Amino acid sequence: MTTVAIVDFGMGNIVSVAAAVEKLGCRSVVTSTPSEIAAADRIILPGVGAFGDAMRNLHERGLVPALRHLVEKEHKPILGICLGAQLICNESEEFGRHEGFGWIDAMVTRLDSKPGCRIPHVGWNGFSRRRDSCLLRGIPEDALFYYVHSFGIQCQSEQSLIADCEYGTRFAAIIESGNVFGTQFHPEKSQRYGLAVLNNFLNEDLVC
Amino acid sequence: MLRSRLITVLTINGGVLFRTKTFTPDYRYTHNFVDGWLVDEIILLDVTRPGTAPTGATSFESVVSAVAKRSFVPLAVGGGIRSLDDARRFMALGADKVVINSGAIDRPELISEIARVYGSQCVVLSIDTRKTELGNEVFSHFGSKPSGMSASEWARQGAQLGAGEIMLNSIERDGSLEGYDIPLCREVTSAVDVPVQICGGAGAWPHFVQGILSGGASAVCTTNIYHFTETSIQSAKAFMSKAGIPVRLS
Repeated sequence: MTTVAIVDFGMGNIVSVAAAVEKLGCRSVVTSTPSEIAAADRIILPGVGAFGDAMRNLHERGLVPALRHLVEKEHKPILGICLGAQLICNESEEFGRHEGFGWIDAMVTRLDSKPGCRIPHVGWNGFSRRRDSCLLRGIPEDALFYYVHSFGIQCQSEQSLIADCEYGTRFAAIIESGNVFGTQFHPEKSQRYGLAVLNNFLNEDLVC
Repeated sequence: MLRSRLITVLTINGGVLFRTKTFTPDYRYTHNFVDGWLVDEIILLDVTRPGTAPTGATSFESVVSAVAKRSFVPLAVGGGIRSLDDARRFMALGADKVVINSGAIDRPELISEIARVYGSQCVVLSIDTRKTELGNEVFSHFGSKPSGMSASEWARQGAQLGAGEIMLNSIERDGSLEGYDIPLCREVTSAVDVPVQICGGAGAWPHFVQGILSGGASAVCTTNIYHFTETSIQSAKAFMSKAGIPVRLS
């Protein structure tokens, strides 16, 4: 049975992520303890809220060096969800400039409100595939996922852009680099296709 | 392309679903449909008037917790949220968003306080309106207290303070099944750039189409749960799709 550490840094909807992980037959450990994260097979970095507050909370809990070690040295698979996906990028311009983990060469910028595109981008939307990914195994082309965000990920290098979504501007929907994965949408809130993406991360071989 | 949403609003009174099919109050009714149906989002509202919950009633918190654990769709929760701590409590139980109404009218900073911690996308400003000499006037405290503000004025202010969505309700249309108040909806959707969910009055599938196409709403809500079975959600969405509205059909 896969053990999944859901990183608890005081932000966002951890209950739903844990419920989804358990529905998929995995053991979930909601934790901010580095040793518990180290003992897990997979790491999920959830998150709802502001980028700066999130990084500050991670620093305060001593989780930044711990996660860096596990992800960069031990190559443990990690999935960032929504704000969690933004945190694994280089930096964000939300309420000032804030540095992220930098595992994905990307910037996080504000989505512009345009006619027909009210911000936040909230609701069910799809994505266009740019590269193949283990996360997309068995996912139909027209599958829809739940997004809710005001900032978007802009990849600097196309290498890590798996899929993007169009809403006024284009932004990354799925990013990936080695053992690091991120989804702007909420797989845990996207019913069967969301759970299928999550299942690909949790229970499948991550080397395609 | 972003799909228009069909949202189910479940009103909970004294720990039970307020409206049921057989007059048997049972919130477990809500547990089974949340994953299998095509509902795009669920809003759970506690409408228990202070001091009226029967002794031994299930707490609203445990209803929220039960639904949150079983639903793999977005969940917004409201009713009596007056502080950041209230919001925090529901977020910890598994809510994705909080719905605030009277608490924000009494103290508008509440919107900013929650938005700063959880982000704007987490704050849904619920606005109840009634027709008065002011036009569409905002009322609080279960529609009993006039605020002196118009709906569009309050929506604009709320969005500036950090509300990420507006949930707009017409007290006169609520439960009427006559259709949404489309001029009200248009007034508010043209006043703000954030998404607007229209509530109050939906009684037939064409009302959903009017809310989106004529009212400019991003989402249409229904509180009449007893009209909804798995097939009726599909049927409502198929109707919307035929009318040219992009919706999620699978």
